[in-house]
Amino acid sequence: SRRKRARARHKPCALKELEVSISELGLGYESDETVLFRYCSGTCEAAVRSYDLSLKSMRSKKRIKKEKVRARPCCRPLAYDDDVSFLDAYNRYYTVNELSAKECGCV
Amino acid sequence: DEMLHSLAGPPSPAGQDPHGWRVDCVRANELCAAEPSCSSRYRTLRQCLAGRDRNTMLANKECQVALEVLQESPLYDCRCKRGMKKELQCLQIYWSIHLGLTEGEEFYEASPYEPVTSRLSDIFRLASIFSGMDPATNSKSNHCLDAAKACNLNDNCKRLRSGYISTCSKEISASEHCSRRKCHKALRQFFDRVPSEYTYRLLFCSCKDQACAERRRQTIVPSCSYEDKEKPNCLDLRNTCRTDHLCRSRLADFHTNCQATFQSLTSCPGDNYQACLGSYAGLIGFDMTPNYIDASTTSITISPWCSCKGSGNMEEECEKFLRDFTENPCLRKTLPHPLSSPCPIPTGVHPPHKYLLPPGNAIQAFGNGTDVNLSPKNPSPPITLPPKMEKSPALPDDINDSNTMYDTSVITTCTSIQEHGAKLNKSKEQSLCYSETQLTTDIMPDQKTFVDQKAGSSRHWEGQILPVVPILLLKLVL
Repeated sequence: SRRKRARARHKPCALKELEVSISELGLGYESDETVLFRYCSGTCEAAVRSYDLSLKSMRSKKRIKKEKVRARPCCRPLAYDDDVSFLDAYNRYYTVNELSAKECGCV
Repeated sequence: DEMLHSLAGPPSPAGQDPHGWRVDCVRANELCAAEPSCSSRYRTLRQCLAGRDRNTMLANKECQVALEVLQESPLYDCRCKRGMKKELQCLQIYWSIHLGLTEGEEFYEASPYEPVTSRLSDIFRLASIFSGMDPATNSKSNHCLDAAKACNLNDNCKRLRSGYISTCSKEISASEHCSRRKCHKALRQFFDRVPSEYTYRLLFCSCKDQACAERRRQTIVPSCSYEDKEKPNCLDLRNTCRTDHLCRSRLADFHTNCQATFQSLTSCPGDNYQACLGSYAGLIGFDMTPNYIDASTTSITISPWCSCKGSGNMEEECEKFLRDFTENPCLRKTLPHPLSSPCPIPTGVHPPHKYLLPPGNAIQAFGNGTDVNLSPKNPSPPITLPPKMEKSPALPDDINDSNTMYDTSVITTCTSIQEHGAKLNKSKEQSLCYSETQLTTDIMPDQKTFVDQKAGSSRHWEGQILPVVPILLLKLVL
């Protein structure tokens, strides 16, 4: 059913991983080396606080109008993985830090 | 070359325990310290050796007695293990006795390390791990890139690789390109703490094109760890290395395990590739760090960063020292070979000695395991494999070493299959080899089979070969 599919798509916030090439990262490096890219994915429904509910309420009552606010917790990395080094297509080494998530949480 | 020949044999394992067990020097030192007579003699001997050569020392009666007593103690035969706890302390104890006892400055020194015996497990683990993911049949495949991928997907390997790469490529100041000392240390950590199935694969990947070979050359970040403003004389470099217990030990270990010998089929002592690879990797991160001198795919030349310019009357000795890196048949045959190819050892070991090995420069082909055509005409069908095995008399001297026995037999199977495969097209050959690798890997953990084999039962062999035969026949029919 539709509901079931929707729920399956909205798993709680957790660490997921993907094998990607350095070039695919979109950081401007040219390299065919493959790295493990770990990212945070999922929903944070369980992490909604009074803060979020109140903020939402203020916004709907137009008490907050112009500012950009976020009334929902967000699934983000709490810690990042160690540096990743690689050799690019021009035989130069690069090191990228904070590329991959190590731990996720609703913040 | 006569001299080389006489020196080429493995150093005599004097006083080795018949069970192959030897106490490490840290432990031997503790045992000696607990015994008043031993500890006092040890102290005496160390004083005797300090700053004196062997002959002056032996002229002294007291020193002579101390030596005689210590020769009976575990200290005399102790060895160290690579990457052991207190490795440096262990080596200091080893050299404190051995340095003064050798006849001055010897060309080759015996290795203070335990002999490497666990070679098969590594090679087989490699084969089983990588045969699945290696797109070896793909002509575009870059084994060195695959090796980097395998490392990046393993957290430990990735962390320590990034560790040395970032250290070795970090610019200190405008004048100082990098901190060589820190770079070497990070490289040693990488090679000590990461399992060899990852490190060897990065270091010894086989290449078909220059991009791959350049990546291989770049593995150790040579701009920092290898190259220098000036190339020192090799003998000077050796002297520098010998002032450091660790470097001296690793160099002695390299000479022990990669010394070309005419007594074995592979030119390697005891036909032990694994030991030579390990000793080679063990030199990285020291003054004697070796590397590929260029990104050539057709000829592989290894050298430390030194030359024989300015050798004076030592030119010959210098050339001889350098040739152990640049023109060493054992190292050549060992280098990129089986680690990146699906078949454990595509060639090199050839028990039925019908075929001769191609000249040294064929390493690259060895790595591929495909384009070496050892026997243009091989009439015997695969079914004759088991008898071939029994005929093979060409086992190394240490026939008691079940490892060697097993090693050679398995390789025979695979080598032969490859040779048959050479008549078929390449992809078929690869698949044949895979199935064989898979098969032997499956058998591998079964210790029982292993022991029975040693006992010479050919029935077991038939049992192992049989499952391959239908595949082979099928392929031949195709």
